[in-house]
This record gives sequence, C-alpha cells and structure tokens, in this order.
Amino acid sequence: MKFNTNSNVYIIIYSVVMVVIVAVLLSLAALGLKPRQDENILNEKKTQIVKALGYDAATTSYDEVVAEALLLNADGAVVESDVAKVFEALQSVKDSREAGSFPIFKATDGSVVVPLYGAGLWGPIWGYVALAPDMNTVKGIVLDHQGETPGLGAEITTPKHQAMYPGKTVFEGEELVGITLKKGGADENNPHEVDAITGGTKTSDGVSAMIKDCLVSYVPYFAAAKATTEQVSNELNTENNGK
Amino acid sequence: MASKSLKNLTAPLSGNNPVIVQILGICSALAVTVQLKPAIVMGLSVMVVTAFANLVMSLLRKGVPSRIRIIVQLVVIAALVILVDQVLKAFVYDVSKQLSVYVGLIITNCIVMGRVEAFALQNKPWDSFLDGIGNGAGYGLILVIVAFFRELLGSGSLFGYPIFEKLGLYELGYANCGLMLFPPMALIIVGCIIWIHRTINTNLQEK
Repeated sequence: MKFNTNSNVYIIIYSVVMVVIVAVLLSLAALGLKPRQDENILNEKKTQIVKALGYDAATTSYDEVVAEALLLNADGAVVESDVAKVFEALQSVKDSREAGSFPIFKATDGSVVVPLYGAGLWGPIWGYVALAPDMNTVKGIVLDHQGETPGLGAEITTPKHQAMYPGKTVFEGEELVGITLKKGGADENNPHEVDAITGGTKTSDGVSAMIKDCLVSYVPYFAAAKATTEQVSNELNTENNGK
Repeated sequence: MASKSLKNLTAPLSGNNPVIVQILGICSALAVTVQLKPAIVMGLSVMVVTAFANLVMSLLRKGVPSRIRIIVQLVVIAALVILVDQVLKAFVYDVSKQLSVYVGLIITNCIVMGRVEAFALQNKPWDSFLDGIGNGAGYGLILVIVAFFRELLGSGSLFGYPIFEKLGLYELGYANCGLMLFPPMALIIVGCIIWIHRTINTNLQEK
C-alpha cells in the first residue's frame, strides 16, 4: 500500500511517533549517563577545592588536605558538619545561600575554602577561594563558568589568570573589599587588584562582584576564626615568654 | 569505495567548502576560533553531528512528509546534539566543559541543516554519511586555519604554548595584536582565505 505522505492523518501520526521515540531515547540516555555525570561533578568539586588550596590535584586527594566540611548560618555559627550534606548544599550554592546556609571547608593547616557563585556575561560563574589562616590573604582561587566566550571571558579558568590571586588580600582594615579585576591592568601596589581579561570585561566585573558578594556572608565567621587564631598565638607567645 | 562516493567526502574540503564556498556556519566560525583547541573539538563535534544527521535523514527520506520535513530535521539534529552533549559530559567531562555552550549551538549551525536539506533528502545513506563527514571536516579545516592565525598573532601562543615568548620576540619589541582576539578579525581572516582560495580556483570566481 502506498501512503499519501502529505495527508494530515499521516503527518500527525508521524509527528507523534517521532516525538515519542526521540523522547524515550533521550530520557534513556540521560538516565543511563546520570550516575557517571554526577560522579564527574562531585569529583570535580573536590578537585577544585584541593586546587584552590594550592595543591596539585593529581597527587593530593581531597581527604588529605580538607579537615572539615561545614555549613554556617548567617551569624557564622556552625549548623551542620556532615560531609554529604555540605556537598548537597554545594550542588546549588545559590539556593543554599538564599536559604541562609553557607558551606565552608576547613583545611588541615587552618586555611578555609569558600565556594563562590555569581553571574558572568552569558551564564553563571562559580569557583572556590582559599584564604590563609589570617582570613585575609588569598591562598589560591579556582574559577569556572558555564558559557563564557572561549578565549575571552572563559580565560578566567586558565592557570595564568588564577596565578595572579595568591598573596592578594580581601580586607582593607576591618572592611571587606574583595578582589577587583581591573580593566587596563592592576596597580602593582594595590593588594586588592588583579588584571582583568582583555575582551572579557563583563566576565571580569562578574568575578569581582562574585568574590565580594560571596565573602561578605562569611565575615562573622572570619572575625571569630581570626580571634581564635590570634588568641592561640598570643597564648603561645605568653607561654614562650614565661619560659 | 566508488569514486563518486569518495567525491562526496573530498569535495567539501576545498571546491565545495561549506564555509568559504557555500558561506555557511560563519557565526560559530567567528566565535570559537580565538584558540586552536576549542576550534578542533568544535570541528570534530560538528563532523559527528552532520554525519549522523545526514545518515538518519537519508534513511528516513522516503517516509518524511515533505510539509513538515524541516521540523523533522530539527528534531533529529536536536536529539543528536543532546546525545553528543550528554555523552561528552559523562565520558570526557573536561572537553565538554571547554566547549560549553557551543555544543548546544551546533543545532543552529547552518551547515547541518543545509546538508540535510540539500543532500541527505535526495541521496542514499552511505553517500549522505560521507557528505556529512566531508562537510564537517571542511568546516573544521577552516576553523583550524582561522584559529591558528588568531591564537598565534593575538595571544602569541599555539595550543596555549607561549611560542613567541620562547622565541624571545617580546624582547625585540613585538607586541600581540589584541584586535585578533575580537570576532571581526575572524571575518577578515575568512575573507582572506576566500580571496586566496578563489585566486587559485578560478572556476569559483563570479563573472
């Protein structure tokens, strides 16, 4: 039997069958590949935390350098210390931040890693910034993005760009200033500036805003942690003086 | 392989190149050619999608209602692109991140639909498959040439390796051409390639 391939009935049946087949195919592929994709994402998060702390992710594992994974509330108090729960919150840093819950990672040497989340030019950008035990000096940063232009905004992910951050400071006195990506090149004497990306000004602005906006929620925690560190070192000094 | 089938594969590399002769897929050629690596992976991804879109549409060509053929083509191409994206995410996560949004944008690449509409609907599956590979390769070839000049002259590097710095050109007073990093320069380079190409292939010159 020869079908009239232009009859309305045929067209409707054809479209319905086609859409169902394609939908089933894509759902199966998505479901089948999901566990692998999730594993990749979790591994990547752990790798990025390790990298932010300045270690080589190929030789150093997450468990070796990170002592604690914590969720803080807006006052900087610890509300959750279960690793699985913290990584769950990390799935959507934006949502957990809006819900008043802030993930943070404490390294074995007293440094902390804070997850970052913000807006680039085309889509979300995110990353991790590691602060030394003084809660001021940047130890390292890892930046990533979803859809920034390759070669322009996407340059924030390159080691060359990220190498400019370590040693910069985020506090000016008691005030949080973050790190600014300065268009036209950073002033070498300014500890809060790095070079912006040529041709990626909007992405660079997004990174500057992201660093400041994300760190500001942790200021109470930083203050408390700094006080503890200073107290400990003071006590040590007193002890030493006593001897 | 018959010589006619082989021609489907080789013609798009030069004489019937999708970018510089058919002038298709210019938009993404401007966007992903700042560096060599994304350009190569993008070329490969487009090759896979054009080849399989051509194959599937050629197999379906007798049953497709001609009134909704464009919609059918879009569904097939979109499904393929999503599959490629999912597979890349699961198995080569790094590459998938490097390409980011451009994998999804293969759907809108004029070459894919152009070849399906112009070739696969009238030809046998094997010929269509070769035509898809050829056109994807022809597209990738131009991307690589453009990216080579843009990365070399714009960033002074190739595959991220700082070649000019190692040669000591900066000490002689050379500076990178920042203009190369912007999309208009890709268009100008594509224009230069077309110029050279047509000078050699005089049969392509419009009278």
